[in-house]
Amino acid sequence: MPVGRYVFRTGVSAFFEMATPDAAAVLPDHLQPIEVRHQRSVLSVTAFLFDESEVGPYTELMFSVVVPPTVAAWGQHAKAGFYPFLAATSSAEARRRRSDRFHFPYLDEDIDAQFIETADRLRVRVWGADQRPIVDFSVTQYAWESTTHLLQGFMMNGEERLRTTLQISGQYTVHENERGNMTLFPHPSTEPLLRHEMPAYPFREHWFKNGTEVFHSLVSF
Amino acid sequence: MSDTKKDHATVSERGTREAAPKKRIRPDGSSPQAFSEGAPAAPGPMEYDYTNFYFGAGEDAFALLGPFDDWWTEVRPAGYYLYELPLHTAPGTLVDVEDTKTHEVRKNLINFASYNYLGLSYRREVKEAIKEAAEIYGGGASGSPILSGTTELHLLLADEIADFKKKEAALIFPTGYSANVGTIAGLMRSGDLIVADQYAHASIVDGMILSKATSRFFRHNRVEDLERKLKGFNGKKLVILEGVYSMDGDVPPLADIVEVCRKYGARLMIDEAHSAFVYGANGRGVVEDQGLEDEVDIHLGTFSKSLGGQGGYIAGSRQLVNYLRGFSRSRFFSCALSPVVVAGLRKALELARNEPELRTKLWSNVRFMQERLSELHIPTGDSTSQVIPIMVRDDARIFAIGEEIFREGVYINPVKYPAVGKHKSRFRMSISAAHTEDQLDRGAEIIGRVLSRYGICQ
Repeated sequence: MPVGRYVFRTGVSAFFEMATPDAAAVLPDHLQPIEVRHQRSVLSVTAFLFDESEVGPYTELMFSVVVPPTVAAWGQHAKAGFYPFLAATSSAEARRRRSDRFHFPYLDEDIDAQFIETADRLRVRVWGADQRPIVDFSVTQYAWESTTHLLQGFMMNGEERLRTTLQISGQYTVHENERGNMTLFPHPSTEPLLRHEMPAYPFREHWFKNGTEVFHSLVSF
Repeated sequence: MSDTKKDHATVSERGTREAAPKKRIRPDGSSPQAFSEGAPAAPGPMEYDYTNFYFGAGEDAFALLGPFDDWWTEVRPAGYYLYELPLHTAPGTLVDVEDTKTHEVRKNLINFASYNYLGLSYRREVKEAIKEAAEIYGGGASGSPILSGTTELHLLLADEIADFKKKEAALIFPTGYSANVGTIAGLMRSGDLIVADQYAHASIVDGMILSKATSRFFRHNRVEDLERKLKGFNGKKLVILEGVYSMDGDVPPLADIVEVCRKYGARLMIDEAHSAFVYGANGRGVVEDQGLEDEVDIHLGTFSKSLGGQGGYIAGSRQLVNYLRGFSRSRFFSCALSPVVVAGLRKALELARNEPELRTKLWSNVRFMQERLSELHIPTGDSTSQVIPIMVRDDARIFAIGEEIFREGVYINPVKYPAVGKHKSRFRMSISAAHTEDQLDRGAEIIGRVLSRYGICQ
């Protein structure tokens, strides 16, 4: 059952290769990272610009490791699972509500974000509360199409293992042409990533426009 | 590339994107179902691919079988049926292929799908040798090569391959796949480092996994990235690349890679599955073509491509071959190649060595086809070989295009994610010395005609 609906103007998800032991290190014991190639797992960096939500417009940044979804019957089987290990928003109220409802691990400060769209590229720049830069990354477009993605999000509430199903619908472009980029800046939120070797470009670039994110009830398992 | 950007805009304006199903298709024709009340419709089956059924958490080892089977039932008629179509003829330049969707046998299709690069698999002399061997040896080897499966034919073939490659020794494997797996896992161990090109074949990757060595991949043909991956590692290092990359048809910058390997003390292995017997003045592969035969430590190849048979080999030093004979598990624990196959391979190798005109004709055909495809403005990527990718770059429509090409008279395989990257979908065209220019011309015309309907070419 849907418990949260968010209308977004634009949203990006950039996939980066990450050494599997590094990815496993940020996961709880019951989750394992998927491998996109031998010994290489996936870091997802997402940023969404929400126009409509229960707290009004806001932006959100999220770092996740891609994990196997829990198997469900065809038609409800998710394409992938995500374990967010760091989230940040521009709105304290959004942070409070999403943290209460979904237990995402939010940075306890407001972020400031710019979404800069040029001819075929979306650049996202994010700063922390003290205007220290956190990340600057971009994705590029390929062919646009309408899509719905069925995904799973995994989270922890203390020792409790939780899972939600997430649908993202809207205009969508994806490719693996290695045209995007990312710079991570020294910041408390990026420390776990800067300890490891991170590629400067995403191997896969997702870009959504004019769509909705629908979260379903949390399941304890 | 600019051509595909433009093409996509054109296609979009023509409104032909609907040619491929974007919504959920059910066999009973029912409408898309909402995942749950208040939520958008569930994704369509063609928005899923094999990777979505590879990982899945659950209690039962069979948990993914049901969802995969249901998905497969829906997507097979939408295009996946184009894989594994049964041939009713030899893999010649014209073939009869069963259309499993309509249950018709489509006759005399121009064949660009088989990698019978020199047209040797069905040569009369090869078939004669096979018949003779069958009379003597029967059907199979009936044993592992280290026990009872080795015949005098196997030893002769190994010697002939070593002589052909100008190496001290060679080792025969039951398949090209097992040659890569057995060589890599037979040589490298936990704590070692293997660095391979990111487009390396699955058999190379599986060998890396089995070896338990640390595995790294460098960006395709980017020598500076290879150097970055080698730098700072102390211990045994092996670099692996291919002579011709099977999905792109391009070749590696071998001289630069050799230099980096020397600088960092890494051994170098090259998989010439698609380039042995084709490249070089004597057909000894890309290493001969680039004048670097003695700079590469392990030369691997297959018998299933240019020689039109089955099996794989490595060639190198006597010590290397002697070691792998003892430690290459994929060979050790497999039945030896059938002596019937070996007899055919020996004859095919003899023909490949004695008839350099086969290579001359192949390269003439490659040039002819590249020119025809260029005249038709069909995008072919960076290929410089007999493997020519017809770049479609549209995952949603590749099957619809493939179905039309198939029904209009050409047999060629579609390739899409995850075999290649997202929206790097293509048809993989294999040119043979046996193709006539008329066949190449007609094939290019059919492909161009279908692609033009989709705005892929003019």
